[in-house]
Amino acid sequence: MADDKDVLRDVWFGRIPTCFTLYPDEVTEREAEPFYLLLPRVSYLTLVTDKVKKHFLKVVKTEDVGEMWFEYEGTPLKWHYPIGVLFDLHASNTALPWSVTVHFKAFPERDILHCSSSSVIEAHFMSSIKEADALKHKGQVINDMQKKDHKQLWMGLQNADKFDQFWAMNRKLMEYPTEEGGFRYIPFRIYQTMSDRPFIQKLFRPVSPEGHVLTLGDLLKEMFPAAICQDDEPKKYQVVIHGIEPLFETPIQWLSEHLSHPDNFLHICIIPSPSD
Amino acid sequence: MSDDGVLDPGHFHLDEKSFRFCCQSFLQHSDLLSDGWSWTEVKGSEGFMKKTVLRPRRNSPLKTEALDFMTEEEKVEEEEEEDAQVECEKQDVVVYEYHVLYSSSYQVPVLYFTASTLDGRLLSLEEVWNSVHPDCRTQLLNEPWNTLTQQEHPVLGQPFFMLHPCRTEEFMQPILETARREKRRINYVVTWLSVVGPMVRLVVPVSYCTVPDQNRV
Repeated sequence: MADDKDVLRDVWFGRIPTCFTLYPDEVTEREAEPFYLLLPRVSYLTLVTDKVKKHFLKVVKTEDVGEMWFEYEGTPLKWHYPIGVLFDLHASNTALPWSVTVHFKAFPERDILHCSSSSVIEAHFMSSIKEADALKHKGQVINDMQKKDHKQLWMGLQNADKFDQFWAMNRKLMEYPTEEGGFRYIPFRIYQTMSDRPFIQKLFRPVSPEGHVLTLGDLLKEMFPAAICQDDEPKKYQVVIHGIEPLFETPIQWLSEHLSHPDNFLHICIIPSPSD
Repeated sequence: MSDDGVLDPGHFHLDEKSFRFCCQSFLQHSDLLSDGWSWTEVKGSEGFMKKTVLRPRRNSPLKTEALDFMTEEEKVEEEEEEDAQVECEKQDVVVYEYHVLYSSSYQVPVLYFTASTLDGRLLSLEEVWNSVHPDCRTQLLNEPWNTLTQQEHPVLGQPFFMLHPCRTEEFMQPILETARREKRRINYVVTWLSVVGPMVRLVVPVSYCTVPDQNRV
C-alpha cells in the first residue's frame, strides 16, 4: 500500500533537534559553546555524535578525556536504546530542542554500557535483530541470510540515505506465511521511567487462538493494564511510539511491520500524561 | 498452542515452567553441597538463580593462547591449584556474580555475570575476554561479538556480561538426542551450565549430574 510505505519513510527519517552542552565541572581551556544537531530517532547516540565529540574536545584538556557519555537532567542516557526512545521516555512533553549534557569524566559504569568502538554498536544492533527474528521466525530468516546481507542492514543504519538499501534486506524479516496471519511472536519492549525494571518484554502472539487479529490495546491489557483507562476517568498515561500515540485499535502485527525500529523491535514508551 | 512442560522430540529448547523446575532441583542440590546458589523471585512469576564467587585474577591475552586439550577434572584441579598459590591482594582477587536467567526470546537459559576487583572496579570487556579459559576460546576467537559481550541485565537494568544464547539449542541438541535415545532424563539447566560455565570460570561439580530426582525433563 502506498500509505504504508510512507509510514516506513516517516519512521526512518524522524529527527530530534538536540542541543548538547558540556557539563560545567569539565575543566576547559576556554568557554564551551553548545552544539546543535538533528539526531535520527532510529539511530544510537554513540553512532551519530562524532561531531559533538570533536567540538568539545577542542576545549577540554586531553588528560581529562575519558569515554564520552550523555546525561539528561541527571539521568545517564543509555546509548544502546534508540535515540527516539530515549527522547520519548525522558523528554516527551518538554520544549525543543532537547537539552543533553555531555561528559568526559566519571563514566557511570554501573548505569550504562561501555562503547569503545563502532563494533560494539554493530554487535548490539545485530544482536537485537537476531533476537527479534528468533521471536518472529525462530531465527530462520536471519540465519538463512549471508554475512554480507547482515552487513547491508548495518550499513543501512549508519547512513541516513540508505533507506532503500536497508529495506531491501529488512523486508525479508517482515514476511510471514500467509496462513499464519502474522509473526510467531511480536518483538516488543515497553519502557517506563517509574519502574525498577528496565523494560517489559514477554511472549505475545499477534493472532489469538480463535483467529482474532490482536491490537495494541490487547497487548497493553496483558502487559500494562493501567494504561487502559475507563471511559469516565482522565487518561493517566500516554502510550508513545516514535513520538506519536497510535490508536489502541491498531493491529499489533501492522505496528510491528511498520513502526518497528531498524532493530526490528517495537519500542513502546509509557509516560505520565501531562498534568495540564 | 502454548508450550507445556513436555519437550518436543524435534526441539532442544526449554519452556519457562520447565526452567523453574530445573532450577528448583538445581538449588536443592546446591543447598546439599553448600554450593552457594540462591533464587531471586521477580514480580510476575519470573525469577533467576545467582551465586557469588571469588577467584584469583587470571590474565592470558586472547591472541597468544594455544588450544590444549584438558579433561574436566584436570581443569578443576588447575583452578584449585591456582587458588592455593596466589596471594590474596586486593587487585589479585576478582569477585564474580553469576545470574542464570530465562530467555523467552530464545527459550533457553542465559548466563549473565559481573566481574569486579575487591575495591569495586568493574573489569573491562577486554579483561573478561582475556580471562576466558584457554580451552573454551574457539567460539570467542571466531566471533567475539556474538559470544561474550556487555549487556543490560533485563531485570536489574545494570551492565552485566552475557554469554549469547543464540547457539545454546545447537550445542544442547546432540546431548539431548543421546539422552532421549538412552531414555535417560537430564536436568537441562545442569547440563547447559556445565558446558557454558567453565568458559567464564564457573565450575559445576559433577555430582549435580548424578543425583537422581523427580524434577528432570
